[in-house]
Amino acid sequence: MAAADVRDMLDLPAEGQPRPLKKQKVTEKRPEGITRELFALLGERAPPIAINENRYKGRPKWMSKMRVRPWRMAPFENGARSDGLVLRHWQRQNEPAKPALEGSEMEVDDKTDGKNASETVEKDYMFAKYNIKARVPNRYTDEEYNRHLKNDDWTRQETDYLMDLVEEYDLRWVVIADRYDYQPHPVDAETNTTALVPAKRYRTMEQLKARYYFIAASMLALEHPPSEMSEAEFELHEKMMKFDPERERSRKELAALQLNRTADEVREESILLEELKRITANEQEFITERRELYSRLEVPISVGNTTMYQSSQGLSQLLQTLLQADKSKKRRSILGPESAGAAPSPAGQTPASNAPGSARDSRADTPNASAPATTATAAAAPTNKKAAAAAAAAAAAAATKEAEKTVKTLTPAEEAKYGVQHHERLAPGVQFRSDRAQKLTQAKSNVQTQKLAAALAELAVPLRLVMPTERVCKEFEKLIHSVNLLLDARKVAEKVESEIRVLEAAKEERERKTKESQQEKTSTTSTSTSKPEVKSEQQDEDGPPLIPADAAAEAATAPDPKGPATAAQAEGEPAAEVKGTSGVPAGLTEGQDGASHKRSASVLSNASDKSNKRQKK
Amino acid sequence: MNPSIPPSTAEYGGDEVSAIVLDPGYSTTRAGFAGEDTPKSLIPTYYGKYTYDSQEKLIFGDDVFVTPRPGLSVHNPMGRDGIVEDWDMAEKVWEYSFTSRLAGPRPGNPLQNGLNDTPDNELPTEMEGLETEEKPLADSPLLMSEPGWNPTKAREKIIEIAMEKWGTPAFYLARNGVLAAFAAGKASALVIDIGASNVSITPVHDGMILKRGVQHSPLGGEYISSQLRALFKTNAPQPITITPHYLISSKIAVDAGQPPQAKYKTFSPEKAPHASYRTLLEERTLCEFKECVVQVWPGPNKLSGTGPNGVLNEDLAKTSPGRPFEFPDGYNQVFGVDRYRVVESLFDAKAAIPDPESIFPPATQAQTVPELIKNALNGVDVDVRPHLLANVVVTGASSLLYGFTDRLNQELMQMYPGPRVRISAPGNTAERKFGSWIGGSILASLGTFHQLWISKKEFEEHGPNIVEKRCK
Repeated sequence: MAAADVRDMLDLPAEGQPRPLKKQKVTEKRPEGITRELFALLGERAPPIAINENRYKGRPKWMSKMRVRPWRMAPFENGARSDGLVLRHWQRQNEPAKPALEGSEMEVDDKTDGKNASETVEKDYMFAKYNIKARVPNRYTDEEYNRHLKNDDWTRQETDYLMDLVEEYDLRWVVIADRYDYQPHPVDAETNTTALVPAKRYRTMEQLKARYYFIAASMLALEHPPSEMSEAEFELHEKMMKFDPERERSRKELAALQLNRTADEVREESILLEELKRITANEQEFITERRELYSRLEVPISVGNTTMYQSSQGLSQLLQTLLQADKSKKRRSILGPESAGAAPSPAGQTPASNAPGSARDSRADTPNASAPATTATAAAAPTNKKAAAAAAAAAAAAATKEAEKTVKTLTPAEEAKYGVQHHERLAPGVQFRSDRAQKLTQAKSNVQTQKLAAALAELAVPLRLVMPTERVCKEFEKLIHSVNLLLDARKVAEKVESEIRVLEAAKEERERKTKESQQEKTSTTSTSTSKPEVKSEQQDEDGPPLIPADAAAEAATAPDPKGPATAAQAEGEPAAEVKGTSGVPAGLTEGQDGASHKRSASVLSNASDKSNKRQKK
Repeated sequence: MNPSIPPSTAEYGGDEVSAIVLDPGYSTTRAGFAGEDTPKSLIPTYYGKYTYDSQEKLIFGDDVFVTPRPGLSVHNPMGRDGIVEDWDMAEKVWEYSFTSRLAGPRPGNPLQNGLNDTPDNELPTEMEGLETEEKPLADSPLLMSEPGWNPTKAREKIIEIAMEKWGTPAFYLARNGVLAAFAAGKASALVIDIGASNVSITPVHDGMILKRGVQHSPLGGEYISSQLRALFKTNAPQPITITPHYLISSKIAVDAGQPPQAKYKTFSPEKAPHASYRTLLEERTLCEFKECVVQVWPGPNKLSGTGPNGVLNEDLAKTSPGRPFEFPDGYNQVFGVDRYRVVESLFDAKAAIPDPESIFPPATQAQTVPELIKNALNGVDVDVRPHLLANVVVTGASSLLYGFTDRLNQELMQMYPGPRVRISAPGNTAERKFGSWIGGSILASLGTFHQLWISKKEFEEHGPNIVEKRCK
């Protein structure tokens, strides 16, 4: 089938489009230095190695047009020398004819003429400028020396020798101290061998420096009094005057010690340095984490509707959106390697730090099962329910402890020290301890909540805990519990009181009626019905003397025919808890100050007053 | 001027004045033009002396090794401590080193060179100014090197020779430690020079040696040769005698450890060269042996100690494969742990192989390289010690012993675990052999150096003592 037929079938115009151009065959250029026959054998693809004849790359053509610039052996004199030594070196010869061409490359000898160049000697040598000497102070005169610079330890000759040496070696103290070799009486020693040659004194570098700095500073001060010195001079003067050879010596001793450390010391030091680096890095990390946490806490409380997140579906949706946001952020992932095992929740965004550092995290979690503490309270007041619970908790704690012993043995003291806690059950996700405490203050009814708040306000305990540590939270929990109890007791007491009032009023009424009836001398049966009521009250009063709190409890548990609901409610509360209320103030003193203690005592006294009143009645 | 800012390229400061650098050593004398990278003229410091036609003749240069002339004795003008003993001969050897290759020979006296022979019937004319014959170094400044412990007298003698005999217009005498430091590109360094006759440690600060830190001991290449001879005497299958090549006319290959089968040349007593000639040639064989076989135990710890995993280092050394060597007479053997033993005494004096016939007294611990370094560092200010340790320069041909720098590094790290130890040892053999010459070549071609030359005028004014004042 030809192309035309296809076009026909597809209703395309014949030769509609021009044909694509054929690829132009690229003929590779034959490199130089290779014969045509050999190149033909190579085929289309050139070998990876260039086959090139190694030829000398001549100078470019334009260069050959230039004139040769001769060099000549030129004598020169060094300006830094005083003896006029003439040495010879190669110099490019000056060309007077064409200065434009090579003007940039002209050397120092611009002025020398081509002809007589060999005779003239360069005067300005380009390296002479590097001949610089250190600045040394002016030399003292005899008078100046005698007036200002005398020293018992140093003779004039030795001082001169030192100053010469300093000048000669340009203040290189290492060299000066090395070469310092002062012979006190060179002439005497030769002429008179019997004379006692003083033992040669070995001067340390510090002695030399101290002497020199003293002289230099004094000379500086003589030149300009310190009040007229320039700033730099004054600084120098101060520095030299403050030189302390003793300190320098001890510094050098330390330096020698440092140099001669043993391998162990060096290793220890490097380990310590490593440790320090690690600690500072950890601290930095901790600070950033805390900052992150603070910024999270300071976020304004959202006022939006949260009901959509209260179902599990809503929560998972929220998690998805947060994950999405996290991915796009490309920062530390929520599901990072360490937190991947943990329950994925939006709260998990606070990155769980690695195992050793997680003590803080575990402490931040639920304080619901601090085993030793619970067992202690349970032992203090064993009652059926609590005791059972405590026993269970203790058993669980023992079990976990045993399990832990196999892994890692931490004594209770150590656990307390490191804040290790054991939890029976951990709710997934992050919870704030302060939130739990907050929840306690919310009662079922609004009135009750207000009452609770009032009681807390009276105790000067803030509604939101300032420092919700674990212990404080526990005590707070206890406090709220007892406040609730007291409130209940007060409610019952008020109810009983009102009933009493009603009954008394009824009694009065009845008495009045009986009086009236007596006056009328008619009925005898009606009085007998009220008797048992009064009697029961009397029985109640006849009970053994109780401590106030117990009395309140007794009052709550006392059979009250008219308030069965409250009685049942009161019975529901374990007695042990009531007993615990007496311990509240003592417990609170741990967390609160003395003032609140007093106040709570006053609350109790209020309560006991009421019960006392009732007892009197 | 801020020293931390390097000068611009235009100011890098090369300025060559066709100076000659002469670095005389105990074994070889190096000479060449400043600015070049290796000495052009390398001759042995040994010279030969023999009588021919009742005239005393001298042989200089490599010719010494070539022909066993009758009665040829070999001498060295240098003492084993690196100080010149025979000044006349030293002058001749040194002069030969540069005239043979560099400056050309001194033109002979016109009276005797045959051009001015007077016919018999004429009276010889008085020629004026014959005394002012051309001196060999008339247009080249000369830079010479010397060991750090060279006494003042020797220094003055050197400048006298250079100025008066060789007629150099300018002269400078530099310490070879300083020059080696310059060759390594350092102005401050701790130079460890392992030469033929000496091991020397030179602390250099800002281009000047610290005299109180200079240490030297005779545990150089010759000492290692003496240890080798001691080893050969007590060699295991059979004691080895070194027969130099000139005594062998032919040899047959033998198996390892088998006695050699060679035809020896014999010299009648009147034709035979002096024993010192044989010693010199034996030394050449030993030199070859040192290059091929001898190895320094790389550490850690001494050869007699134990390694880090509790294995004796000797046992470890035994497990490493040996190295074969064939002597000129065909005797060959594989050398195992012995090849470590011969140089161990450079680091551990107790490991020296005892040899009562040796010219070297038994090495003491104070002569070993680590002790020398310790003493050298104790002699300098504590502030520069860490800097010196960070700039250790190893030079000298004997430092080319296989594994020397590794061991040195180990020893230094062990001695000074605290500061940073850094050894700078050029891998290039020539740079290691000619370290101080190369430093001199650099120094003498610097533009800023030309103000330091002692000129002829200054010498004439102040006398030879000027060398003490100027070459500090």
